[in-house]
Amino acid sequence: MSGSGTQDPTTRGHMAGHTTGRIDDTTLVREAQRGNRAAFEELVRHYDQAVLRLALHLTGSESDAQDVYQDAFLKAYKSIGNFRFECTFYTWIYRIVTNLCLDQLRKRQVRKEDAPVAKDSEGEEYDVLSQVPDGRAAANPERDLMRRELGGRINRALEKLTPRERMVFELKHYQGLKLRTVGEILNTTEETAKNTLFRATQKLRGALGDMR
Amino acid sequence: MKCEWVRENILLFVYNELPDDARYELEQHVARCGDCAGELKATRVFHATLSSLPVEEPTPNLLTASRMRLQEALETTEQGGLWQKLTFDPWAWLRQMRFSPALSAALLIVGFAAGIGTMYSIVGSRSSSTPQIAESTPSSSPAQASISGIRSIIQEPGSDKVSIKYDATTTQQTEGSINDQRIQQLLLFAARNNYNSGVRMDSVDLLTQKPDDTRVREALLYALRYDSNPGVRLKALDGLSSYVKDDVRVRDTLLEALMNDSNAGVRTRALQLLEPVRADSSVRAVLQRLAQDDKNVYIRSQARTLLAQLPEID
Repeated sequence: MSGSGTQDPTTRGHMAGHTTGRIDDTTLVREAQRGNRAAFEELVRHYDQAVLRLALHLTGSESDAQDVYQDAFLKAYKSIGNFRFECTFYTWIYRIVTNLCLDQLRKRQVRKEDAPVAKDSEGEEYDVLSQVPDGRAAANPERDLMRRELGGRINRALEKLTPRERMVFELKHYQGLKLRTVGEILNTTEETAKNTLFRATQKLRGALGDMR
Repeated sequence: MKCEWVRENILLFVYNELPDDARYELEQHVARCGDCAGELKATRVFHATLSSLPVEEPTPNLLTASRMRLQEALETTEQGGLWQKLTFDPWAWLRQMRFSPALSAALLIVGFAAGIGTMYSIVGSRSSSTPQIAESTPSSSPAQASISGIRSIIQEPGSDKVSIKYDATTTQQTEGSINDQRIQQLLLFAARNNYNSGVRMDSVDLLTQKPDDTRVREALLYALRYDSNPGVRLKALDGLSSYVKDDVRVRDTLLEALMNDSNAGVRTRALQLLEPVRADSSVRAVLQRLAQDDKNVYIRSQARTLLAQLPEID
């Protein structure tokens, strides 16, 4: 189970505690709206690991992921008084995070960055796949090299998607969310999310077709 | 037309987004149509290829550093929204009511009272202890943001006393009953965040003594889904076993483990625990898939045995 986020779960939500956690969230949100900072911090702890995981996988950079994390939760803290329980807190916080990540992806497109490498929190570049712990790597360097090349090709293919396509694909394929949830997070319908996923997959198959 | 419909929905099938009846129809068609079976296989291979790009969990250091940075920022950040409505610019309200003296007076009184009440609420919440949510004071109630790691968890044999060593700015130790709020907080933290798998296993083991607690059940579900150590995932499975029948979330997470866990022992145990609910439609669908094409001989055989015990669906 570790190492790959592509669980393809037969489940109604990828995050543990999503359904019954809503009861706890309601109480915590109301407390946070009354100015209880500890309640807000508890809310943060319910979701921050998933938020950081999403930001890290999308941005490929620890420092960028930390910035998204910081901006998202500060924004949530400042505007939690406006939260009216029209959706779950989970959906709300994911909306904030995905919007921030979309901004990042759009900026990268404008700069036409090709980022086959990522940066760590000290600004040093590294190959994303080189961070994957693999006890067998020493025994099979050829396979390790093939895996890195494959990872690089997949990353380059993902960069050819529009920011929205990339986001839908990330949330569905790598984070394992249901299309209905993806639609709620991106403030659109499940049908639109589905069509965006189809487009993204077709583009990826076009870019990686010779790997079949 | 049928093939066309199938090809339009193959992607949704692979992503498990089809309703049960559509899923069943597609499976029936693919069993008879070679072309569509080939397309399904190609889509599955492509799906698996894309999945080879790993989704890394943030390291404990990254998570802790992010939390600490956020906590520092929260110290100097003000909330907006509801607070501003209660306490911000009462003169704007009065300007709207300048032609209604009685209402203006009433609003002034109400605004003044609301301001006093708000201040009382602020002072009250800051000075009182918060029994439900722990404050960040290392000597009494350790909060997660001040903890950089859990060093050890030791339960006194034959009692419910637990001794936990954790790092804040210096190594500290606390003792208390397993039912103690702060002990529970530390155990929950250790189950998710500790870099030492032995400590995570100890904490999950202790948490299984109280799986009725919603937070504990969430921690066990998290450990089953995300922990890198199969021993920890097995412990979490055992702790969740009594909830498979009544809690759909637990059932779904077990199905996920059965389908995707990298450890055969974890998968086998998940299959055993799902046996009492094998008639559930989601469980049945997973068993059908495993019975057809799972690579593990034992799991394939067990799935077939369980399916054979089920009545046919009309």
